[in-house]
Amino acid sequence: MLEIRNLTKSFGAGATAVTALHEVAFSIAEGEFFTLLGPSGCGKTTLLRLIAGFEPPTGGALVLDGRDVAHLPPNKRPVNTVFQNYALFPHMTVAENVGFALGAQGRPRSEIAETVERMLALVQLDHLAHRKSAELSGGQQQRVALARALAPKPRILLLDEPLSALDMKLRKEMQVELKRLQQETGLTFIFVTHDQEEALTMSDRIAVMSGGRIQQIASPRDLYDHPSNSFVAGFIGESNFLDARCAGGKLFAQGAELEVDHADGPITLMVRPEHVVLGTAQGLTLRAKVETLVYFGTDTHVHLTLPDGARLVARVQNALRGGAPCAEGDTLTVSLPADALRLLPKDA
Amino acid sequence: MDIAETRALRADARRRWTLAMPAVTIITLFSILPLLVVVVYSFLTPGDYGNVKWIWSTEGWFQVLFQRDIFDDTVTLSDAHLTILGRSVTLSLITTLITLFLGVPTAWFIATRPARQRAFWLFLITIPFWTNLLVRTIAVQEMIRSEGLINRLLLWLGAIDAPIQMMYTNFAILVGMAYVFLPLMVLPVYAAIERFDFRLAEAGYDLYASRLYCLRKVVLPQVKAGIIAGSILVFVPSLGAYVTPRIMGGGKSMMLGNLIEMQFGQGRNWPLGAALSLALTALVLVALVWYTRLTTGERRHG
Repeated sequence: MLEIRNLTKSFGAGATAVTALHEVAFSIAEGEFFTLLGPSGCGKTTLLRLIAGFEPPTGGALVLDGRDVAHLPPNKRPVNTVFQNYALFPHMTVAENVGFALGAQGRPRSEIAETVERMLALVQLDHLAHRKSAELSGGQQQRVALARALAPKPRILLLDEPLSALDMKLRKEMQVELKRLQQETGLTFIFVTHDQEEALTMSDRIAVMSGGRIQQIASPRDLYDHPSNSFVAGFIGESNFLDARCAGGKLFAQGAELEVDHADGPITLMVRPEHVVLGTAQGLTLRAKVETLVYFGTDTHVHLTLPDGARLVARVQNALRGGAPCAEGDTLTVSLPADALRLLPKDA
Repeated sequence: MDIAETRALRADARRRWTLAMPAVTIITLFSILPLLVVVVYSFLTPGDYGNVKWIWSTEGWFQVLFQRDIFDDTVTLSDAHLTILGRSVTLSLITTLITLFLGVPTAWFIATRPARQRAFWLFLITIPFWTNLLVRTIAVQEMIRSEGLINRLLLWLGAIDAPIQMMYTNFAILVGMAYVFLPLMVLPVYAAIERFDFRLAEAGYDLYASRLYCLRKVVLPQVKAGIIAGSILVFVPSLGAYVTPRIMGGGKSMMLGNLIEMQFGQGRNWPLGAALSLALTALVLVALVWYTRLTTGERRHG
């Protein structure tokens, strides 16, 4: 339904111009929960503002339902935003806030009242309809902002880090709530966040962004299991990176070797800490020295040093009996299982 | 309540009074006492050569609105005073409107500049304050008098054959007052707009509001307090303006300030002057009460 074609955005002109988005292209399906994930300054908010219409693109097209909307003003696009700071109108009541868009569209009073009631019920705030928005708690304001953006039935709902101002517990609740709302309304959500956990738990698909470019678009599971480069691997979850080399169908790393099917040349080897095995397993087997043990309750992080000084972390689930898996200062054999190894292009 | 508690409360009340004393003294000395003097004078009899005689009289108050025929003592409404009152209120209202129309866009312009440029623009707005009011008014006179800049320019361009008479008219007073009071409108409106969160306007725009609808429903309610404050700041001194109508209006277009001054000068009627200034104060008070109603009432009902 939404197709983004080579969207580019530069700020400033001439030599001082800064390009915030480099020819971004992807499409979003009807009813999808799509997340733009990246560190601050990666261009995700700029992309969202372009979709909302607050900024015109420098180049490219935004095709919504077969129509290029890239140069329409925000009030002409069937797209609404839930802002990071909520941006509720402080001089209006909750009901007036929620009914604002319908009022601006000149809908009849009875329809506005009916929609406002339905929206407030949807976000479970019917009892606060006549409060001023400034009198509400953060979580309640969040719900009003949601109801306000949903009331005019947009084709796409944009959410700009809407949970970042909430405390941990409330954020978890709102994550579930948002997912429920999205499934109930069947609406397409584009969600911006820098929180990888939030992205993983809620999204159908995630676009990881960095430096104004899309690094990878995939489902949460694919993104975690098969990152396409070391940025994505490092940004999502924890990772071990080792320098390695491929030659003649073999992988050479830390003096060990393994048969692989990969083009020759230097690569970056990635393995998740929870896949590192203390002991021998089918894969790369290395000698390592235990530096420190960090106890985390459910598991223990074993910080290891390899003979050439490279570091490796293994995450070992804590057993009910037997105590720590090893002791600090031990030298032991660790294995990187063949199916857990990810061969990523070496960073320039 | 036991004795210790009562004593503590009393001590507390005493301390509060002691702390408030300096403020109370200043208010009494510089605000309440002079006002009392004016009130007392308004109930005395005018002296032959100015000043007052200490004889109780309500004639001063009577003359604010009425006049007595010197031959047959018939009482009629004082046309002259009513005309001046009407003119003062009308000219003050128009001045407020002019400064609104010029000041709000100016304030908007300044508030939407990058933060570092705003200080410069505000500086330009405050420059006129450095000069004496009289000098500023005479500068305006220099612009619009018959041999002034505007007339000479128009003559030179051939747009007119003879100078347009602009001085000593209501128009001249309006030009003068609007010029003098404009900064008083710009500053509070600027403060309100500067505080306005423009992300709210963005939100309104996102929610299908046209620019005009957004201005009316989102921006105006947020900056209303500044606009009202600016209007009061312009309207109140306009009502009592003295220098500007004196210079720009000549003797022909008098305003309340000039009428009051006249009673203490040529008129030699101090009680009437005192009564008139109290009437003006009452008028301002009504305007202020109306203002507080306008701003606080909104918060209650909205």
